[in-house]
Amino acid sequence: MRYARFIIVILALSLVASVLLAGQVHVRWGGRSVQVPRTADGRLELLPVLHLLGADAGFSHSAGTWGVVLGDHQVQFTPGSRWVLMDGELKKLDEAPVSTPSGVAASERFLEQAILEPFGFHLEHEPGGLRIAEGAAYLSPILVVPVAADFGSTTTVVLTLGRKERVEVEDRDGAVVVHFPEAEPQLDESRRVASARITSIGVHGRDLVIRLSEGAGLLGSHVLDDPPRVSLDLGPKARPAPASASPPQLRATVHPIVLDPGHGGGDTGARSPSGLEEKTLVLAIARRVARILRGRGFPTRLTREGDTGRALADRTAFANRLEARVFVSLHANASRFSSARGAETYYMSLKDEATDEHAAATARLENASGERSGGHDGLDLILWQMAQAEVLNESSRLALAIQRRLNGLEGVPDRGVKQAPFVVLTGATMPAVLVEVGFLSNPTEARRLATAEYQEQLATAIADGIVAFLKHQ
Amino acid sequence: MRARVVLLVLLGAAAAVLLLWALLGPTSRVPQSGPEPAPLPTPTPAPKRQAVLLYPGSDGLLHPEIVPLSLPDEQENRVRVLVSRLLQPSPAGRPPVAPYPAMLTDVFVREGKIAYVDFTAPENPLAGCGNEVPFVYAVVDTILLNCPDLRAVQLLFGDREVETLTGHLDLSGPLPLNKRLIAPS
Ligand SMILES: [Zn+2]
Repeated sequence: MRYARFIIVILALSLVASVLLAGQVHVRWGGRSVQVPRTADGRLELLPVLHLLGADAGFSHSAGTWGVVLGDHQVQFTPGSRWVLMDGELKKLDEAPVSTPSGVAASERFLEQAILEPFGFHLEHEPGGLRIAEGAAYLSPILVVPVAADFGSTTTVVLTLGRKERVEVEDRDGAVVVHFPEAEPQLDESRRVASARITSIGVHGRDLVIRLSEGAGLLGSHVLDDPPRVSLDLGPKARPAPASASPPQLRATVHPIVLDPGHGGGDTGARSPSGLEEKTLVLAIARRVARILRGRGFPTRLTREGDTGRALADRTAFANRLEARVFVSLHANASRFSSARGAETYYMSLKDEATDEHAAATARLENASGERSGGHDGLDLILWQMAQAEVLNESSRLALAIQRRLNGLEGVPDRGVKQAPFVVLTGATMPAVLVEVGFLSNPTEARRLATAEYQEQLATAIADGIVAFLKHQ
Repeated sequence: MRARVVLLVLLGAAAAVLLLWALLGPTSRVPQSGPEPAPLPTPTPAPKRQAVLLYPGSDGLLHPEIVPLSLPDEQENRVRVLVSRLLQPSPAGRPPVAPYPAMLTDVFVREGKIAYVDFTAPENPLAGCGNEVPFVYAVVDTILLNCPDLRAVQLLFGDREVETLTGHLDLSGPLPLNKRLIAPS
């Protein structure tokens, strides 16, 4: 009997020990619960939790990412990365998940930030484990992305919020305070706000504080949806003004179309058997396109006016600086297949249509950031890539509009709209395409390209395509 | 007393089961309906005896050709075999993929995901998007189609990373698969 009791005590002790040592945590949601393994460093296995919530989770081997879908919401994350794509929006979290033999594990904070919050839940500690509760946790972090632009006498600041959240805007002496009663603002530090009226932007607890330069004050504020954002108008500090004071005038800006005649200077580009150079041909065509567009009331600028070289990145930067409506780079083609002829239009291919390709593109970016010095960091590249995605659909529409007009020209075989990462299209913040008007390497086509008549036809087709695109924008 | 002993014995038995479970397989109770965990490496099958290679045509697209080729399992060798074959005319008589007499000088794979392929640089400046794009993607897409573990390929020229070859395509980083340039079969 004494022996039996001894065994029972040992077994009872082992019952306690097994629970402690095995690293399990009891997670409850609604009427159901699950034992969730915990790694040695305290991370939770995510798959049992996702299963508990009824979420679909899958791992893409080619992409190396986990995708989680619950209802209308979608979250993607990569073991080892703090970046999480939540409903198409990229966020940097405090910690990264890690791969485990049975799936993926992450800290409670990551679980809450990456999985629960996007799906409208939060995590609560309770005796014996964790409870998943509906609704946002009190003081859950909210990402705030600030952007500011000076317009002469006023400055507009837009604070884009990670989600819809209640805010209170307060005009304090020398500062504008945006107060989040139920959330903890987290400033997107990657965005540098450049404005003559702002000296700093920072977060203090639930307040986002925008310190203003001498003489500046808050003129007005609006809270807007889609995306959730707070818009602040800054200007000269309000002072007793004469009744006749006129409202601040916004500078009227006309955004031009930017045409980029390819190559130039020492970079001649392709050359026809008779010596016609690509740089000369495309400048002639660009001038014609510009004349036609200006004649139709569209201000148009060229990246080079004469036979001068210009760095590829500088051409795009020029268009960005002018906030061009569209950017069209003009080129003439060459192929070792002398029979190759016809026009084709390219647009960027960073955001690929297939998941695998997208993943590979991401890998490319990550790699580029990780292994090359002097380049952007991964964050810049990903943010930039996402901004690119916004103009990509527009770029494909512009490419199609131009290519369609080129196909309408007699004797021009359609080589179609294609996608590839061109240096000169990289980083363009507007719809941007590269048009290859024809092959200088094809003797027949080169002879035609050399004629003013055909150049005018091509220019008209390109201008028509641009105008058609702009009219349907 | 007897009931208490039975209770303790039952508790003990439960503890034993739990202990066994905890020691032998703590994750075995994880719901199995989740996604498949990463598969363990499996023995690779015998080398493939043929490969799909992409050769540029005059239409600017990449034309798949099935080429008898023994592909090694080891990634770098596999890439080397593929690219070396691309630098020869295709069985259907298409010219080698490179628009100049390029030679393969080196192949290396980083982290099992990105292949770097180094060619001799062209002696004279190369021109034309129609020379650059099909060449680059014939190499990139052929490698990625035949090496499923690889995610991207970067082309180097003369042991150097280049921004571009003819002033068009961005070659400064590894390129992912671009299926849009492959001719519909
Ligand atoms: Zn060109």
